[in-house]
Amino acid sequence: MSAIHLQNLVKKFGDFTALKTMDLAIADGEFMALLGPSGCGKSTTMNMIAGMEEPTGGRILFGERNMAGVPMGRRGVGFVFQNYAIFTHMTVRQNLAYGPRMRGAAKAEIDRRVGAIAEMLQLTPLLDRKADRLSVNILQRVAIGRSAIMEPAIFLLDEPLSNVDAAFRAVMRTELKQLQRQFRQTMVYVTHDQLEAMTMADRIAVMDHGVLQQVGTPLEVYNDPANVFVARFIGAPGMNLLKGRPAESDRGLVVDLGPLGVTPPLPGELAAALRGARGDVLYGFRPEQASLVQDGQGLAMQVSFVERIGARTIVHLGQGEAAVKTVFDNDVGLAIGDIAVVAPAAPSVRIFDAATGLAIKAEV
Amino acid sequence: MGTVRARPASRDEGARLGFRLTLPAQVLVLFISAFPLLMQLYISVTDWSPLSGLGWWNAWSLWNSFANYTDLAADARFWSALKRTAIVMIVCVPAEFLLGLALATLFADDFPGKRIFYSILLMPMMVVPAVAGYMFFMLFQSGGPVNDILSSLTGSPVTIAWLSDPTLALIAVMVADIWQWTPLMFLILLAGLVGVPEDQIKAATLLGANPWQRFVTIVLPKMKTIIIIALAIRVIENFKIFDTLYIMTGGGPGVATETISVYIYKVTTQDLIWGYVAAIALAILIVLSIVAVFAMKRMARAGQVPA
Repeated sequence: MSAIHLQNLVKKFGDFTALKTMDLAIADGEFMALLGPSGCGKSTTMNMIAGMEEPTGGRILFGERNMAGVPMGRRGVGFVFQNYAIFTHMTVRQNLAYGPRMRGAAKAEIDRRVGAIAEMLQLTPLLDRKADRLSVNILQRVAIGRSAIMEPAIFLLDEPLSNVDAAFRAVMRTELKQLQRQFRQTMVYVTHDQLEAMTMADRIAVMDHGVLQQVGTPLEVYNDPANVFVARFIGAPGMNLLKGRPAESDRGLVVDLGPLGVTPPLPGELAAALRGARGDVLYGFRPEQASLVQDGQGLAMQVSFVERIGARTIVHLGQGEAAVKTVFDNDVGLAIGDIAVVAPAAPSVRIFDAATGLAIKAEV
Repeated sequence: MGTVRARPASRDEGARLGFRLTLPAQVLVLFISAFPLLMQLYISVTDWSPLSGLGWWNAWSLWNSFANYTDLAADARFWSALKRTAIVMIVCVPAEFLLGLALATLFADDFPGKRIFYSILLMPMMVVPAVAGYMFFMLFQSGGPVNDILSSLTGSPVTIAWLSDPTLALIAVMVADIWQWTPLMFLILLAGLVGVPEDQIKAATLLGANPWQRFVTIVLPKMKTIIIIALAIRVIENFKIFDTLYIMTGGGPGVATETISVYIYKVTTQDLIWGYVAAIALAILIVLSIVAVFAMKRMARAGQVPA
């Protein structure tokens, strides 16, 4: 096991900068997800940790050890590829034995280790099957086993679930998380699927355009997004953000949203933090944390669309800049054209600086 | 077929319909391949020759039982031509394969000027074999460029009569064949090499395999089918080696470079005993068919393991 430190890591491909200074500390035994849309630099970061690509600048440390110039075969890194990269011309046994065999381990030693890893991954009955006709969850286990047999300090997983159909993905997620508990290795998991990151990771590093946006536990990232990008990216649908200007009222500090009226008063600490701020702000709240209230106690908006997704109903309110989404129980009695008055739960309200996009934090 | 019927019945039906639909094509193929074969078989058991004054269909009157085949078995010139052909094949095909594989490995990565070298490398394959033969005929003259180069390398004048020496002539002929057909090997093997999944190679690297281990455990097994195809093509083609060789040496000096094709050509055009030619050709066809069937079997087996 080993901690990973990325220090001022930079990667450029010619004129294109894939990664602008990344600093990240991943603890020993931690499951860290690198989450972001395609092209955000997450895979580049992963490839540099694995040694497939050389950084343009900065350092990668495993524990105390600088990895500069260490070739990828000698980093002690297990890598699970997006399509698993199983050696299809070999049997499951040959796949598992590949690493030790290449390192010249003795036959008896290889057999013992393959036996142990197969037992752990429940692959024993499949050992002599050709690896070209296995179901995808077996492939995942073979891919993990093939790396795990080398007892790597670090496991890197590159979107291993992106080729799996939605129904099966849930099964695979559970299995993967259980395997991580078994192996207790440091795991870095690259994904663009926030559900995977939220459900499996100890911490999530959200990235966009080659810049690390926020690092935190799934709940921290969800509850307290550091900036507008994270607020919009995390959550399905993402956080609602409405432009406005702080204003005093007789009930306390509110945000004047212009034509939409004023918001309910902000909670005390947030109001205190906001009093010093100047200029426009973005008033943010989670779609799941709004409720229907009586006229005059919230924002009155017209229903523009109703999406029923089974357990929940997503109600789209308003138009253009001033559009929000709210999530209600499936029996909500709203139809297109109705006027809904919604109020966010006060503790869930977040305020962002409209100019910088950064969260304005309540002083605690 | 929308009818609901028991499976075996409808499969029979399908097979019969398929047979009827492909019948015209089958007849055509039969005519193209089976007819000449039967004609050849027929002539090969007679003393028929175009000078005999008979149409080939009347060759039965020249029936010589199986004398052509017994003659063939005792024909020392035939057997030495066959042996020579085998030697050429055993030297040329592996040389072309190894050179082609080495070049393909080189060209699988990028390097400056790759496209130009690629075009230059493929050029020999485009040259008409007869022209290639003439080129090498000129190159290997005793006052030719090959000797000139050797002279400047050794510092003393070299005047080897390449094409007049039995051993050197065979070597010269093989050099020409390797020059001309390595590009084909290279092209086929490069296609195979590019098709090896990159991430499996990366996975092997991450598991600690060195370049040689990766080549042996990943690249070669993945290329198995294509290697068999390339080798089969070259074995069959090389067995029929003729044009380049004939122009360079005419099979000489003496019979020192006389391969099967050259021998058949001489018997056909000079001795005009076509019944005997038919027997030789049939014997060779059988040998080549065995090679082809063997290769196809290996391919079918390899094909069960899609890359």
